[in-house]
Amino acid sequence: MSNQSSGIFNWVNDRLPIKNTYERHLSKHPVPKKVNFWYMFGALASVVLIIQIVSGIWLMFGYENTEEGAFASVEYIMRDVDYGWVVRYMHTTGASMFFAVVYLHMFRGLMYGSYHKPRELVWIFGMTIYLVMMAEGFLGYVLPYGQMSYWGAQVIISLFGAIPFIGESLELWVRGDYYISGATISRFFALHVVALPLILIALVFMHLVALHEVGAGNPEGVDIEKYVDEDGVPLDSVPFFPYKILNALVAIGIFGIVFSIIMFFFPEGGGYMLELANFEEANPLSTPDHIAPVWYYSPYYAMLRAIPDKLGGLIVMGAAIAILFVVPWLDRSKAASIRYKGNLSKIAMTIFVISWLMLAWLGTMPVTELRTTLSQIGTMIYFAFFLLMPIYTSIEKSRPVPERL
Amino acid sequence: MKLVILSFFFLFSLGASSAESAPCGNYGECDEFVPQLNNLESLQLGAVTFMNNCYGCHSLKYSRWNRIAKDLEIPEEIFASNLVYGQTVKLGDTMNGSMKKEVAETWFGISPPDLTLVTRLHGSDWVYTYLKTFYEDSSKPYGVNNMVYPGAAMPNVLASMQGQQILSCKQVPIIASNGGVKRDSSGNNITEEKCGYLKTIPDSGTLSTEEFDEVIYNLVNFMTYVGEPSRADRERIGWYVILFFIIFTSFAYLLFKEYQKDYH
Repeated sequence: MSNQSSGIFNWVNDRLPIKNTYERHLSKHPVPKKVNFWYMFGALASVVLIIQIVSGIWLMFGYENTEEGAFASVEYIMRDVDYGWVVRYMHTTGASMFFAVVYLHMFRGLMYGSYHKPRELVWIFGMTIYLVMMAEGFLGYVLPYGQMSYWGAQVIISLFGAIPFIGESLELWVRGDYYISGATISRFFALHVVALPLILIALVFMHLVALHEVGAGNPEGVDIEKYVDEDGVPLDSVPFFPYKILNALVAIGIFGIVFSIIMFFFPEGGGYMLELANFEEANPLSTPDHIAPVWYYSPYYAMLRAIPDKLGGLIVMGAAIAILFVVPWLDRSKAASIRYKGNLSKIAMTIFVISWLMLAWLGTMPVTELRTTLSQIGTMIYFAFFLLMPIYTSIEKSRPVPERL
Repeated sequence: MKLVILSFFFLFSLGASSAESAPCGNYGECDEFVPQLNNLESLQLGAVTFMNNCYGCHSLKYSRWNRIAKDLEIPEEIFASNLVYGQTVKLGDTMNGSMKKEVAETWFGISPPDLTLVTRLHGSDWVYTYLKTFYEDSSKPYGVNNMVYPGAAMPNVLASMQGQQILSCKQVPIIASNGGVKRDSSGNNITEEKCGYLKTIPDSGTLSTEEFDEVIYNLVNFMTYVGEPSRADRERIGWYVILFFIIFTSFAYLLFKEYQKDYH
């Protein structure tokens, strides 16, 4: 750096903590030296967030938020805008990949106990991000105004109507009209592109600040802060730059390959990522034979349908998300990581994962009596995994956690 | 643990075994359709069939005339004089169809749907099978019905090419519960009469069955193209992007391994 430019840098740095912030949160930030691939999904989630924001801005250039124009404007982007299809598929693939990496990231948290003291707040911010993402994804799905956009919105908005006393007025308030219309599209548009992304970015910021305060966990559940050198840097850590950024780059490269295979060769994801019924413009007079959510909501949709009563279904679905927030206080195990927990935890986790996948599959299928029963079993297992956690984590014997990583 | 996983597989298979309606209605499974989006000749022939037989009633309202001319490499003058209908049409216009909605509703009961995205909505397999499975049915207003979409409010526009197609019956072997064919004591297959098979009356149309299939193939190939005009581009560019990420990942991995030596 020449003297002149370092002079300018110093001038700014004396007034704005560029160097300090960069060193504290990036270059010198200590990261556990032994982590596995499960620890890459957080970085990947932030990559997808950037993809979604950038492709979303580009989509807005061509999108029209009206009842008459919404569907046609998406086709306009797909056909008449140069490389508009790249931007659109990036956004639709990005939406699915966002949920995919976030689900894997959350599962990592459950598996290695990333919510254990002192990382409870990191977990809670993370869960809030997930909650906002679900709303964001739903709002975005309505915008192209295809048949599934319309009828999906109809199903979800009508859930508000199940709330006693205020339900009907709440439903009207959310919809902005007596039926789903241009008023609904334009408010969903505003929420999807301004309000929720702002909240999302703020939450991601808090998630990271909290994480950097307590430090990242590791698959062993070892507290690396116990052994530090004379500068207070954990002995079992390496600085993020240049070491851990290389892990992230490899992960981003592999993720790029997967993302491009889907985006360029299977953008519809077999009808699970872009539902085929959504290639028809919304028609309030014709209900599709089978209304299914995109795959990332399907486990919770299966729970909703498993309960015969609408309000009951809504409560169960809400509780299924709410219970995730209190996991840090449900897990009584001394060991954070599944590697050192007892057999009960391992069995519970296996059953939980399989039944979650079963629910995900059931949520996309048309209802039959048998499938409803299976959904009810899956729902019970889901709740049992969390509600029984204080019991099985305290009665089982965990193995001692090593001192060093 | 194995028992747990096995019992879940059992539950899965239970749930999956429930009967679903076949994708192609009374026809059962659709005939497979593999598009050839780089086969310009097929696309051009399909475009001709579409403009001559379908565009009279159906629009392609999200597509533009000159986009098709450009992608199918048809010179604009030839395109304009042979494939474009309407004196006032500009080549940059969208293909809004030539039938007014109100008129169509009086004639057909419903206005014929726009077909720009029909192959994406139902799948090319479905459209391909649908177009081949009209049969004569005197109980219907146009004298025809369809196997894939029973009660379709569409006349069999291509009947003159295909000829008369009727539902017929034939003798089929009876399948025993073990999956094999039932046989009598002397070893002959036991058959029963089953109905609902499509049969074309020979020489009743201008084309043979193979020629007609080819016409429909080209037509659906064109409609698949119109459903997503950038698809051929997408699949071409995709390989380069994937190649880039493979090279990127390889170098990132080598660099990662090199630096990992410092702390391993």
